[in-house]
Amino acid sequence: MRLQEIDTGDTLGSRLLIRFISTVSGMRLPDAARVAFYHKDFLGGVLGPWTQATMRGPSSWSVGERELMAAMTAKWNSCAFCVGAHRATSARSLTREVVDAALSDYRTAPLPAPLIAMLGFLEKLTRTPDEVTSADARLVLAAGVTQDAMADAVAVTTLFAIVTRYADALQFAMPTEAEFDKAADMLLKRGYA
Amino acid sequence: MTSQNTDHRAFALRLEQRVFSEPAETDPDLRRRMGERAAGGSPIAAPYDALAHQIGEAAYRVSDAQVAAVRDMVGTDRKAFELIVSAAIGAGLRRWKAGIAAIEGAAE
Repeated sequence: MRLQEIDTGDTLGSRLLIRFISTVSGMRLPDAARVAFYHKDFLGGVLGPWTQATMRGPSSWSVGERELMAAMTAKWNSCAFCVGAHRATSARSLTREVVDAALSDYRTAPLPAPLIAMLGFLEKLTRTPDEVTSADARLVLAAGVTQDAMADAVAVTTLFAIVTRYADALQFAMPTEAEFDKAADMLLKRGYA
Repeated sequence: MTSQNTDHRAFALRLEQRVFSEPAETDPDLRRRMGERAAGGSPIAAPYDALAHQIGEAAYRVSDAQVAAVRDMVGTDRKAFELIVSAAIGAGLRRWKAGIAAIEGAAE
């Protein structure tokens, strides 16, 4: 963590909360949660609620599929922390085998065709946003994805374009695989808000 | 597929307003320039330019020195945090706008 105050907490309440959760969970509270507790006046009322609504709110994509989109977006952004966190979370419902196949090559992974088409759009949006066209969107619509579902998926990739960038700029500490698994339970139970 | 959708457009607009226009511990104009630079905009003053550009292009290559230079310039962790997050959000919202424009164009 490159900013020490995020690591320790910037208020008495957040310092106690970080210590309490770390003790109860038996692992160091991941830096993603420490950021969520930090300087809440700035983004607390905006980024958390949008992330919660996008990842856990109503959508034709399952929670596991949205977590997979987050893991894929993390991969395209080369963010090891976010790949680890969302690989573990998506594997809870999609299985580790399927998620790892997608991370290796989503085009050949055992995923529904509409999801594969959607991931193609999201990859282009991540890597070359200025080259994304309506023709790209029409390919996804033709695969059976609605406009609303496309917007849900674009929101996932937008939010993880943001999270991966501050995770790497701040240099989040890497948990072990066992810790990512434990954190996945927390993320599924408590969500992002 | 159907979806009783989240109003993503309203969330994106609210996020953009909060980060780039409203008071916080740093100047909103500096936050906006960090966001624009990370979204592919023109260079800005040192030491902000190197950090914003790196966050936009490949954040995994951000260095200790790039963060430390901005932290030293602004004087507190909170201010440095605001600027780092502003750059990340600029790059993210660039993708939101491109994605939504493509979806809306496909419906016409």
